[in-house]
Amino acid sequence: MPASTSEKPVSVSRFQEKGFRFLGLTFQDVIRYFFGGNASLAIVALLLICVFLIREAWLFFPTHRHDLAIFRQTGVEYVDLMLQEGIAHKEAYTLLNQAYLAELNEPSQSVAAILLAHQQVALEVSKANQRTVDDWKKADDAGKVALRTRWVEGAEKALDQNETWNVEVARFEWTGDLRQKMRQAVLEEGPGGDEKSPFIAELEERKAQIFAETSERLKPFNAIKLAFRNAGRPLDALTDELAKIAKENRELASTFSSAPERKEALLEGAAMETDPVIKARKVAEAEAIVMVAPDYASLTRPFYDSVPKHDAVNTALRSDLAGILATFPEPGTLQTELGRKNLRLAHKSTEQLLGKLKLAAADVKAWRHDAKVGFGAAVTSFFFGKRWITNSSWQDFYGVLPLFSGSLIIALIAMVVAVPFSIASAIYVNQLASFKEQSFVKPTIEFIGAIPSVVLGFFGIMVLGTTLRDVSQLEWLSWVPGFPMQERLTMLNAGLLLAFMAIPTIFTLAEDAINNVPHAFTESSFALGATKLQTVFRVILPTALSGIIAAILLGFGRIIGETMVVLLVAGNKIQIPDFNAGLGVIAQPAHTMTGIIAQELGEVERGSLHWRALFMVGMVLFVISLIINYIAQWVVKRFHKV
Amino acid sequence: MLRRELIRSTKWFPYPNTTTIPKTIHRMKKTAILAAFAAFAVAAVAEDKIVIKGSDTLGAKLVPQLAEAYKGAGNSVSFEIAAEGSSTAFTALLEGAGDIGMSSRGIKQKEIDALAAKGMKQVEWLAGFDMIGVIVNEKNPVKNLTKEQIKSIFVGEVTDWSEVGGPAGPISIYTRNTSSGTFKAFQEMAMDEKDYSKDAQMMAGNEQIAQEVGKNANGIGYVGLAFATGEGIKAISVEGVELKAENAKQYPIARSLYYYTVEGKLSPAAEKFVKWATTSDEALAIVKKVHFIPAK
Repeated sequence: MPASTSEKPVSVSRFQEKGFRFLGLTFQDVIRYFFGGNASLAIVALLLICVFLIREAWLFFPTHRHDLAIFRQTGVEYVDLMLQEGIAHKEAYTLLNQAYLAELNEPSQSVAAILLAHQQVALEVSKANQRTVDDWKKADDAGKVALRTRWVEGAEKALDQNETWNVEVARFEWTGDLRQKMRQAVLEEGPGGDEKSPFIAELEERKAQIFAETSERLKPFNAIKLAFRNAGRPLDALTDELAKIAKENRELASTFSSAPERKEALLEGAAMETDPVIKARKVAEAEAIVMVAPDYASLTRPFYDSVPKHDAVNTALRSDLAGILATFPEPGTLQTELGRKNLRLAHKSTEQLLGKLKLAAADVKAWRHDAKVGFGAAVTSFFFGKRWITNSSWQDFYGVLPLFSGSLIIALIAMVVAVPFSIASAIYVNQLASFKEQSFVKPTIEFIGAIPSVVLGFFGIMVLGTTLRDVSQLEWLSWVPGFPMQERLTMLNAGLLLAFMAIPTIFTLAEDAINNVPHAFTESSFALGATKLQTVFRVILPTALSGIIAAILLGFGRIIGETMVVLLVAGNKIQIPDFNAGLGVIAQPAHTMTGIIAQELGEVERGSLHWRALFMVGMVLFVISLIINYIAQWVVKRFHKV
Repeated sequence: MLRRELIRSTKWFPYPNTTTIPKTIHRMKKTAILAAFAAFAVAAVAEDKIVIKGSDTLGAKLVPQLAEAYKGAGNSVSFEIAAEGSSTAFTALLEGAGDIGMSSRGIKQKEIDALAAKGMKQVEWLAGFDMIGVIVNEKNPVKNLTKEQIKSIFVGEVTDWSEVGGPAGPISIYTRNTSSGTFKAFQEMAMDEKDYSKDAQMMAGNEQIAQEVGKNANGIGYVGLAFATGEGIKAISVEGVELKAENAKQYPIARSLYYYTVEGKLSPAAEKFVKWATTSDEALAIVKKVHFIPAK
């Protein structure tokens, strides 16, 4: 170092000579303007990005409003009301159907479980002898004899292994001579599995017999279920009929709104054409484009005409369903827990359905194709819309709520996990750890931040997801909300990975905040006779609290904007999570705001409504980050005690 | 003029009126490309020009790749390809505006009649097949589903395996994401164009769907033929028809892809191309590469 410090004054003084000027500037001026220019360039670029984002996103609302107006004018909205009635009816029906099926399958359950186990064992055996099975499919009769011997050898070897007998069948255990019988059955069936062993045939027969007896006993229930299903048919038929008209109308509307551009494009194409024949044809084609607005009043006539019919269908459906609801079997009379649960759900769902149908009837009557679509509707249907459906052949919906709720829940899970870990480690490292520990733990935690998020996402798919699900299947953990989990890609999985990513951010900032507590405070505390722990919890933490809160907020901001992990791991189900599951909601898959942008922006037409919708989602994210950062700074300023 | 058209036809520049419906812009873009191509073609009068119009399924990848390979094989021709939907194939043939029509469906009676009215008769060339396999976990005892059942599952009307003959368990649906062509094709072929269930999980690719279904005993998904055999999954039969390249004609979630030409009006250059595209080994390899099934 000394060498360079001795040289420095020389070089500086040379450029400070009075005569050295470049464009009238001294060297120092040049350096000053260079750095100043760089700083202001960054700010200008940031401003430009903001302006671009805001402009693109803001245009979403007029475009969306136009789209909603077409949705209404063409009558697609009208049919959509009916479609929703049908969907609600089917939701209730499927629960009733599941209750019935649970009852129907229960008596033959023990036999069915053996058959299922057989299928899995046979699958394992044929997987172990894949080559023989493949050859068997191609072999002729003579070849099959030889293959048979090869198969028996291979199959016996596989059957001797314990893993082959590891089957995942509910309520099933290998008992007594079952394993021996199964072994024989698998061997008898041969590589193609086309010869039925007597044992399996007998089981199947028994299952069919029990099944027949049960369905005889459940006939009344089945009749109720079918009546429930059939009650919805007139509504479905009416909806299908009207949907066709609505689709045609929308086609007309889109042809009309694209007409000027098509015409322009054709004329431009014609102008470039040198061949007079083709040119004339193109001009004629362009002139043939109809530029007259479709007459929506007459196009939507069939819908207005159908109102009385819908009213009749709706009323009939309601009275039918009310009647059927009264004949539902008492849940107590059912034999299975699953059946009782589903029946209760079906009951509740049908009651809700009746309410929905009543509302829908009023909505359908009140519907007017020429009712104005306000700007407010375009805004609220984005911010409070519950449906995000794109590339639909029916109608696209851009409601951000499912995405927002997914992002929020994942971020909350991550915070619940990350905050205790990172704050505790910050306190430990700064206050309690020895110097040696400190110099090892701190860089290690900070190193986590260097792991690329796509690597973490990959880890989430390949390792964490499977592990979580396997762990959740454990019997003694079934009290945990959401366990056992069916999916590998869930909000919990994504939340855990994001927590891992947030830890270095929160840890570093919190540790800084604790480090900034003046030594005088600690020393005074010790002087008054406080212990180390008392000092940490009563003096240091309260003093550093504002910094710690800011650290948590910035950690939150870090993970709500994270894209790669959630795209890979969160499961991408575009639906508001079902909060009926209580805390178990964390085991559901979800889609996120960042994920949807990454997933859909690539293929979307520039300038289209969908494209702008994605920009709008980006805007929402941007604003959220801005608010979080602002609050973090405000907290630091407002509560800074030192 | 030409340069402006070209610039416009790329994805990165905005269109003059940005408040229109996406499809329109798409169409317009294609028109612009077409116009640019036309201008090129006029410049290069020496070459034979083959005009191919019609289906987006064929025109998006397969035909442009075939055209490139055909030119690469030393044939001195130029191509004009416009993919605006199958029905445009027949209007083009009718007006004499195209040599070859691409269609992802068979010709309709109405279209045959229209051609006949002008004294023309269509010639059908099988370009290949497009098949989508429905996959479930290999432990799932369900081996066959009807088209109606598949529709109800993916639409979300059926939510439990017991409703389609399996053991009780909630169905997990895995689909492609909205930007995928298969997403749309499956919707058209298997779901009567109804919207997907809101419970559907959108995966980035075939491989990811296969992976999740392979790990989830209650999973169901769909993949292209090439991905239907993998760890832990099995393709189920649809309406009793197994997913096999041989069954392409009977398999319900499949469609034949065709080229149509007009009898006696086909230029020698175009005829040579369409024969090459439907029979030569090189062309069939390209058909396979873009995940269709070759006609032979």
